[in-house]
Amino acid sequence: MTEKNDPVFVKMMNDPQPIPRRVPDYMRKKGGIWYWTGALVTIAFLYEALTGLVILFYYQPANAYGSTTNFLNSTPFGSVILTTHLYGAYAMIVLLYAHLLRNLFVGAFKKPRMTQWFTGILLLLLTIGVGFFGYSMSGDVLSADATDVGRGIAQGAPLIGGYIERIFFGDGTALSLFQRMLGWHIVLTALIGVLFMVHFIIAEFNTIMPKITKKEFKAPLIDHEKPDYKPWYPYNILYMVELTFFMFFMILLIPSVLTLISNVPALFSPLPQVSPSSPLASIVPPYPPWFLLFVYKAMDFNMVSVIGTFWGTVLFGGAPLIYLLLLPILDRGSSLKLVERPLTVSLGIVGLIYMMGLSIWGALTPGVIIPDWEVLLFFLIPAVVVFLLVYSVTGWIKRGRLKHPHPERIFINFTFLGLSSFGLGMLLSAFLTSRAMMYEIPLVLLAMAASISFISLFIILNEKPEIVEEESPRMMRSRYYVAYSGGFAMSSVAIIYVISGIPDNSLTNGALYGIGLAILFLIAGAIVKIYRRTQFGE
Amino acid sequence: MDENVKENPVDIEIRDPSKRNFLKAMSVVAVAAAVGGVGRGLVQNIIPKDVGITGFPSLTLVNSASGQPVSTSDIKVNDPSVVLFEYPLQGEPNFLLRMGDSSNRDVEVKSVNVSVPSSGKKFQSPGGVGPYKSVVAASAICEHLGCVPPMIHFYKPGSSIPGTSYSGASNKGFVHCNCHGSTYDPLNGFGILSGPTQKPLPNIVLNYDSTSDTYKAVSMVGPTIYGQTDDLKGNSPLSSDTQTQVSNSGTPK
Repeated sequence: MTEKNDPVFVKMMNDPQPIPRRVPDYMRKKGGIWYWTGALVTIAFLYEALTGLVILFYYQPANAYGSTTNFLNSTPFGSVILTTHLYGAYAMIVLLYAHLLRNLFVGAFKKPRMTQWFTGILLLLLTIGVGFFGYSMSGDVLSADATDVGRGIAQGAPLIGGYIERIFFGDGTALSLFQRMLGWHIVLTALIGVLFMVHFIIAEFNTIMPKITKKEFKAPLIDHEKPDYKPWYPYNILYMVELTFFMFFMILLIPSVLTLISNVPALFSPLPQVSPSSPLASIVPPYPPWFLLFVYKAMDFNMVSVIGTFWGTVLFGGAPLIYLLLLPILDRGSSLKLVERPLTVSLGIVGLIYMMGLSIWGALTPGVIIPDWEVLLFFLIPAVVVFLLVYSVTGWIKRGRLKHPHPERIFINFTFLGLSSFGLGMLLSAFLTSRAMMYEIPLVLLAMAASISFISLFIILNEKPEIVEEESPRMMRSRYYVAYSGGFAMSSVAIIYVISGIPDNSLTNGALYGIGLAILFLIAGAIVKIYRRTQFGE
Repeated sequence: MDENVKENPVDIEIRDPSKRNFLKAMSVVAVAAAVGGVGRGLVQNIIPKDVGITGFPSLTLVNSASGQPVSTSDIKVNDPSVVLFEYPLQGEPNFLLRMGDSSNRDVEVKSVNVSVPSSGKKFQSPGGVGPYKSVVAASAICEHLGCVPPMIHFYKPGSSIPGTSYSGASNKGFVHCNCHGSTYDPLNGFGILSGPTQKPLPNIVLNYDSTSDTYKAVSMVGPTIYGQTDDLKGNSPLSSDTQTQVSNSGTPK
């Protein structure tokens, strides 16, 4: 038998638990998706692994750009596979951040889930690494810029910089560079697979973090499997199938639609840019992948040019990472209430504002050197404002001056408000100096976002505690579900008939095929949803 | 379930097997459509496209150094050096030979029936072209195990071929492969003189234009090129679709 204080690995080996565990019904109800952010990341990962293996048949490190454009333009349905491989990766990263933030705010890193949290942070690092190498493999001008920045950072490491650069980027020849990047792209992906299994098994061992009720706002929060939990098969497995279909729908749809639209900004284009040797290369702004824009903008700070890009990366990329790793030690109280953890809440919101703010800044002014006083203002103002607001609100709630059923909604609103006001200020100053047309539309959009967050703050502050009623399963009348599912199935037959006639000879046709496939997955997901609702009452 | 409890009409509907089966069938249809759509894309994607061309090209033989078309006087009678041109695709070298007797006078190469022991079939060799009907060409890739020049090359009449009894008058100008000892007879459609090969060399059909004194490779007869299932597939097309370069890489030692 195991002792209470044994590490989780010892407990797992000596006191194994059934996998997968049965889960409560509320996880599959409306709003239950927040319990499945990790599953969504896994689905995106599976999509990436499958499409990546197909691309592996065609990718030539000796002819990186040529083989990429060849796959895109001349290989049947290569464009669907390549563009969705890119957007599947984007989906994985976005969902990973959603997973991370959700668990940060609900306090899922607390006892007994510390090991789970650490493996999760490692998975984040690995995913960004895989993303970086994958993005750089196309050999287009953006990938060349990204590789140069990556090499520069690696080289700047004291003493071993040269070795690090050669380990990751090869001996300096183009062939060695792309061969290494392909190798690391696959090696790190395999590591993600292994570490994911560890992460998942620990999560199953620790049980899901159950719905927090008023009386149990304390860690350790463990789900005690109740006898009325439905078994995995068929209830939960069908839910997973439904989520997979809806995920595939999104991953297929977005890049296919973007392929049909011309002039998609380089940051979000599903297609590679021109080759670095093309005369058109100079008009493509030197962007890294969007998920690294925040580090990239920090490289433009005047102070970083003094300390070097390696230490700049250590400072601006490493500091948040170290904070996340230390979080279970810093926020060690057993309370899971947001109002009792104002430091974690403030730092979470400030960190999010920094990251998104830096990314927007990087997108608007790539490569423009920023003087130190602007940097200081950028970091100081949101920090002061957020800390003041969060500590005042938590203080009011504690002292009973503010009663609110959902304090987390106030904090989420702060994030949006802060972000939109920051962007608005930046765009306004850019607009006043150059009055370019390109600033007007984002200006209007951000002004709308800022006013919406401002108005919703008042709405949220006036929320009254709601009476929770026991939800009775909403049933569909039988003739409706027969009509719906029959109609859906017929339309999927019609769609497969139409798209099987689409030839494979152009990007446009590939994109149309991708949209058709996306709709087929949407229909399949919808029928599974109808099935679950009518047959399981879920 | 307790018999006395009055069942909710909703529960009854859930357990209606025909409706459940209908829903199941509809899901199967929708999932099959999605899987079929993915399957078509995937299958078409992972089957690589054929590399090659659809028909034999007609290519003028040109000198790789001067870029000028090769004339009869450019081709030396009984030249022991390795003279090659690529046809019909890249990486598929062919000998260009001008046959002669022991005193280097042109010999007319007749069109003959060449037997292919591996299949038991025969083919008609194209015969020599040019003013003396002495110029012939064939694949320079040995049909036994794919050795290429200089391991396989032309031995001029009267020279002794190592590892064989051909020397002096018994060698009328043969192609011999030093890898495993196969010998081919250019005077008789590159037919087999000695094994281990089971196939003659594939013959190139040449056309001679007497007004401009130029040569063209126009097609091939005989077995397929070693290592290929189709003479027109499996390698990239040549960079030009009007000419192929003839190069001389010197006499093998």
